[in-house]
Formats: sequence, structure tokens, C-alpha cells
Amino acid sequence: MGMFILRRSGQAVLVVMGATLLVFIATFALGDPFASTGDRQVPPEIAAANRAQFGLDQPLPIQYVTYLGNLFTGDLGVDFDQRRPVIDMLAETVPNTVRLALVAILIDVIIGVVAGIIAAVKRYSFADVLVTVLSTLAIGVPVFVIGIVLVANLSGVGPFPTVPRSFTVEVPWYQEVLLPAFALAIIDAAFIARLMRGSMLEVLRSDYIRTARAKGLSERKVIGKHALRNSLIPVVTYIGVSLGVLLGGAIITETIFQYNGVGFLLFRAISGNNAPVISAVVVFGVLAYVLLSLLVDILYAFLDPRIRLN
Amino acid sequence: MRRTRAAWSATALTVVAGLVLAGCSQQSNTGAPDTGQPAVGFPETAPNPEQPGRPGGVFRLGSTEPTAIDPYNAQESEGIRVAEAIFTGLVEVQPDGAVTPGVASDWSANDNCSVWTFNLKPGTTFHNGETVDAASFKRGWERAAAKGSGSEVSYHLDVIQGYAEMQSGAATQLTGVDASNPDRLVVTLTKPDCEFELRTNHPVYSPVPTAVGATTDTAYTDAPIGNGPFRMDGKWQHNQGIRLVRFDDYTAGDKAFLDAVEITILPDANGAQLEYDGFNNGQFDWARMPPPLLAQARAANEPAGKWMSKKTNGINYFTVANTTAPLNSPEARKAISLAIDRNAIAQGVFQGAQSPATALVPPLFPEAYQDGVCEACRYDPAEAKRLAEQAGLTPGTELSLQFNTGGGHEEWTAAVRQQLETNLGLKVNYTGVPFTDLLNNEGAPGATGLFRSAWGADYPTPGNYLIPLLATSSIGAAPNEPVTGNNYGRYSNPQFDDLVARANASKDEAERNDLWKQAERIAIGQDLALIPLWARQQFRLVATDRFNNINMNFNENPTLEKISIK
Repeated sequence: MGMFILRRSGQAVLVVMGATLLVFIATFALGDPFASTGDRQVPPEIAAANRAQFGLDQPLPIQYVTYLGNLFTGDLGVDFDQRRPVIDMLAETVPNTVRLALVAILIDVIIGVVAGIIAAVKRYSFADVLVTVLSTLAIGVPVFVIGIVLVANLSGVGPFPTVPRSFTVEVPWYQEVLLPAFALAIIDAAFIARLMRGSMLEVLRSDYIRTARAKGLSERKVIGKHALRNSLIPVVTYIGVSLGVLLGGAIITETIFQYNGVGFLLFRAISGNNAPVISAVVVFGVLAYVLLSLLVDILYAFLDPRIRLN
Repeated sequence: MRRTRAAWSATALTVVAGLVLAGCSQQSNTGAPDTGQPAVGFPETAPNPEQPGRPGGVFRLGSTEPTAIDPYNAQESEGIRVAEAIFTGLVEVQPDGAVTPGVASDWSANDNCSVWTFNLKPGTTFHNGETVDAASFKRGWERAAAKGSGSEVSYHLDVIQGYAEMQSGAATQLTGVDASNPDRLVVTLTKPDCEFELRTNHPVYSPVPTAVGATTDTAYTDAPIGNGPFRMDGKWQHNQGIRLVRFDDYTAGDKAFLDAVEITILPDANGAQLEYDGFNNGQFDWARMPPPLLAQARAANEPAGKWMSKKTNGINYFTVANTTAPLNSPEARKAISLAIDRNAIAQGVFQGAQSPATALVPPLFPEAYQDGVCEACRYDPAEAKRLAEQAGLTPGTELSLQFNTGGGHEEWTAAVRQQLETNLGLKVNYTGVPFTDLLNNEGAPGATGLFRSAWGADYPTPGNYLIPLLATSSIGAAPNEPVTGNNYGRYSNPQFDDLVARANASKDEAERNDLWKQAERIAIGQDLALIPLWARQQFRLVATDRFNNINMNFNENPTLEKISIK
């Protein structure tokens, strides 16, 4: 187990290096962030002074090595636009994104797993057909459509806050997170329902379920205790990966709902050619993803004793 | 430098959305204006009259996230909006262009305008109680001019003696600023400038207290202590909002009426839409609108007096490569200009939200504005053809037309291309490139053809149009080097240079305006060094049902210091 975690951490370092290298090359190709402000060229001396201040006068490989060195000592640098420590920007946005991701996953799991179980257990019933049809529909509709429809129809209604609203109007985080989380959850919930249905059907056909039934266990126990645990394995994989992706920032959803998370931060950083912020958000996303897939692998071993990590 | 690009990009998506229609109407409109409307574009609305106010009220508006609110680097309209509310400089510029005292009670220049003396009002203070004196200004200017300050706007100080030395790091003080007498600021310039007082209206000329932080210190830059009619209420909450409250001990001018100003920060991409939504749901008292909704918003709000329309500080134009074929003669440039049907595009693509320009210097400067000085800004395909033949712009000649992508410029530039091809038979090489590439391409030695451009002045003077865009000194490079100034077209005419230099050195305002006019007649009327297209015009929805005295200032922001609740 320890060896396994160590190996995966080593891989994570390589992935971060690869990702930052790609971001570096990409943002370098975008051109000089200090050459102009708005429609006007910045005088060359001032642009040069700013480039020097941010180390952009160095050759690209040196910039990259310097950046990596700083990164591994925890220094994410200062952003090009507002000259604020990038770590502050992450500190403002990460908690919001974590909340959004967790609430979205919670909604996913509740809707998806329950719908999937019902569909599998009552196969070919009306409920099963309904789940299949609705999930196909939900998977087919792009998230921005769902987001815009929700904003247009539900914001300002009941517990859902108005968009836009004056920033001084205080809204508790759980109210603010509800609509974007729901927009994010709909598609994932549909996927989970289908996964759950498929894997539950497979498990219900297996020998040990027949044995359990033959022993005279109640149907509730057969499903709830024996079938559920094994059929959750693909769902757990999916949830883990999905959570990893959500933590990296739900760019479209966060932007539509003006939700101040890392996805929205990334969107702004890319529009503003703000390389330090882009790198930092990418590194954060990669780390979140690697960590979550590590957790998923460990959970595997817990859910299915046949899987050995080493 | 400020805002034009941001504003365009913010509206890009929405403009594109309205384009299918535009394609049709643009063709039906070409040539004869058959709509029966007297003029193209939405007319300007009258300023809201000044009325006596009473303290109270909270004014709320949306904004995009500024680059900086600290004057050392406040640059776009949204950042300047906060900086000018929390800082007061030497002079103030009113919405009608009048210059009135700020912290300075009066000012004067020596005979050749190279040494300026500003007498300061006694006893004005910063928000922390510290007195504003001459040293406060020197401190602020040096903080921005210092090497490593990171300021992108410090070049507005470059006329002051000692600026170059500070930029290079050779000096730590501006030798041209004498603050030895706390009540008098004496400024020595490197060259005569009889409009220097207008320059000091830029926020980078703000005073700062001794408690100022470094430009990297977010404790100060996110909550600047200023001397303006409003002060920060807490820190700038990034991407959330900024709250300002009235500074009750303000004595540099009239105290503000509003209790507070609440600026809610919205995403750039759909900021205008959200401001509009927020105005409609009662969250905001001042709002922009997405261009396709302008007509609808105007119809709904103009009867109630909530619609504001104003031609502001700015011009949209084509930079023309003056020194390279095929546009290296005035006839060729005039042929191009005469072949563009601005009215058709204004109606078809912009649905009336842009007004064709007939001059470079905008109507914001009534004393210097010359309606129609650009004679070739009318639409006359026959005359265009005649001049084109004369200039060798024969059918089939290749002409480059470049614009920047992502700014909503695709449709109207495509319409221009179509008109040039139809009316002159040119072969237009039409290219969209990222904005930084556009600047590089137009500044490169040997650049040819037309480039989409926009300009807004930093100081309220016609000179800030004519000199940066057209003076030989603003090329800043030899013919084989990239342009370093803003005269991308490399226009150079000694007669013009002489007129603007004389205007700069003229102490008499009427004479100065006359010289600006003469200069524009040469560069635009005679030489057409660049091709004016649209006068910048701004539209806002304003809550005149709840507030009096709302007007739009030089930076296209509400006059927060004057607004009062009804």
C-alpha cells in the first residue's frame, strides 16, 4: 500500500511537470502579455521593464526551470494583470469549487444510484423505461443549455438567489451553490443511473446472489447488502473521476452562474493571457485529479477484496 | 489605451448574434437611404440638469473586474471609475469638458509653458486624516514612475523632467517636481506643454499619503487610502465587488451626496447582458446593454427618461499605411474612404448604434470639432472610382485589410471589404488576427493597406488625438524599424508637425483650438492620413426615477460625486 502511494505520487510529479510544460509552451505562443493595454501599445521601455520584472526576458527553458523550482517550494508567483499573489486567488476560489463539486456529486449519487437500482430491480417496468428515456435526454443536452434555462427560469425564485445581484446582498453558500450544482449534476446523474443499472443487472445474475437468495435472505438484504456493494465499483470509478474533473473547475457552469470558483478563474485568466494563473489552476486541477484517482484505486480494494494494489 | 478593446470583446458574442439580419438589411440599404430616418444612429440625449441634492442613497452598478484601482496602474474605464472616486487630483474635468479646480486652487505656466505652478487648497486631507500637500503629489508620481513599479500607465508622466532617469533606475526622485513649499507644487517639463494641467486629470497623477504601500503590497493596492469624495469601505473583494462610502471630511470640492456606491463585479464575457438584467430586476442603477438589445432597451426606457446616449471620447478608424503602395497617395486613401458606405453599415450591421464619423477629433470638444472636415467620409462611389483611377488603384489591385478577431469586428469589416470590391473592383486580402499580432503587423516596416483601429484620448484635448496618431514623433522609428509610438500609419507632414507643436506651445485657448483645427484640416481634410469610420458613442440605462444629477463623465463613468437621491 505504502509503495503504491509512493509510486503514484512520483507519477503525479511527472504529470504536473508535463502539464506545466504544455501550459508554458501554449501561453508563450500567445504572445507578450505586456505589449499592449486595451487598444494601445505600451511604450517599449515600460513593456520591457515589466517583462524583466516577471522574468520573461529570460529564455523559455530558464523561465520554465525557475517556475518549476518556485512551484515545488510552494511559490505560485504573482499574476500579470493585477500583480496579486496567485495563491491568494486560489485561496478565494478553491473552497467555492470544492463546495460546488461536493454538492453536485451528492446530488448525482442520490439521484443516479437510486434511479439505477430501481431501473435494474424493476427491469422493463415503466420506471425502468422512464429512467432510460430521461437519462438519454439529460446526457444529450449540453450543460450550458441546462445552465441558461435554470438561470432564466429559477433564479430569484424561492431559495434560489437572483442573478445578477448586488454583491452586498448576502446569500448563504448553500443557496448559492444549489442551482449550479444541480446544472452540473443532471448529466452526471444520468450517466450514473445507466452505469448503476447495467452493473446491478450483471451482479444480480451472478452465482453468489443466487446462493444468497437460496439461503433465504430477504430481497432487501440481497440487493442492499450483497448486490449493491459489488455493483458500486464502476460507479465509484466514475464518481472519483468526475469529482476530479469538477475540482479542476467547471468553466462553463461557473461562468454562467457567476460562481467564483477555479473554473471561472481559469476562464478569466485565459481571456487575459495571464500565464501564472493559468498554470496554477492547471496544476491544481491535475493534482486534484491524480489524488482522486488514487483514492478511487484504494477504494477498489476496500469494495472488492479480490483487487490487490501491488 | 483604455477600455476600447474590452468593450468590444464584451459585446462580441451578442453582436455576432444579430448578424444574420444585418447581412440582409445592409444590402437593401446600400446606396439610397430609403428608411425615411433623418439621420443615422441613435441621437444623443440631453444631459440631466443639475439639481440641489440631499445626503443619502446607495448607488449600485455592475462592472468588470478592474486591472487596478490604485492610481499607479488604474487604466481601463472600470478601474478609473474607482480611482477617480477615491482620489482627487490637481484639476477636475466636468462632463462638458470644463476644467475646474481639484486639490489645486489655481495654476499657471511660465511663458513657454515649460514650468507649471499649482497652488494647493489649504487643509484638504486624506481619508486617514493626513494633510494633502505638495509632497503627497511628488510621492504619488514618483511611486508610479520608479523603475520596477510595474505601472503600465506611468508614461503619462513622461513630460516631467527626471522621468527618464527614474525609469532607467538612475534616479529615485523626479528632479522636475519641486515640493519644498507644502502649498505649492512646481513642475518642470522636458518640453513645452500648454495643456499640462489636462494631463494631471489622469489618475496616475494622484497624491498618495505617507501610509502608502509599495505597488506590490495588496494591503494598500486593494484598499487605497486616497483623498477623494469617497473612501473604500473594506477591501476590494476580487471578483465580488467594491463598496465605497462618502468621505465626510472632504474639502477639496463639494461633498458627495450618496451614502455609498456599490460596484458589483460581473464576468467580462456577458457583463453587458448581466448589467442589463440587473437594471431590469432592480439590482443596478446604471447599466450597459448588449448591442442587439439597444433598440429594444431604448424603446422601453427612453419615454421614462432612463435612456442615456452620448458621443464620447473616441474614434473608430482604419489605420492606413501611408508610406507603402497602394495607399501612399491622398487620392488613393480618399478613394477608399469614399467607397465605404458608412450609413449602410451603421444601419445594417450596428442597427443604428454607431454614428458615421466625419472628423477625427470627436464632438466631445465643441471648440475644436469640425463636422465634415473629412470630406472623403461621405459615400460617393463615382468620385471614388475617379480618384482610384487617378491614383492607380485599378480594378484587380490587391489591398490588405486586417482586423483583430474576438472583438466583434468580423461583420462590419466584411461589409467594408464587400463595398471596396464592388465599388472599386479591388481584390481585398481580408485577414483576422489576434490583437497583439494586429499591432505587430501594422507597426512592421513595409506594412501595407488598412488596419482596424480605435482610439480614446487620455486627456481631454484634441491634441491627444492629433499628436499620438499623426505626428512624426509618434512613429518613433526609422522606416526599417517597427513603430514604437501610436502613429502606425507612419504619416509624416512637416506642416502638420509644425502646427501641433505651435498649438502645444500656445497659451491662448482660442488660438490653440484654431491651430488644432488647422492641423486636422491638413492631416484629415487634405491628406486623409487615416480613415475615420465611427464616432464613439455610449448608451446607458440610468435610474433617473430614483436619482438626480446622473451624467456621464470623460471616462464614460457616472458622475458619482454629483448624484443625489430623489
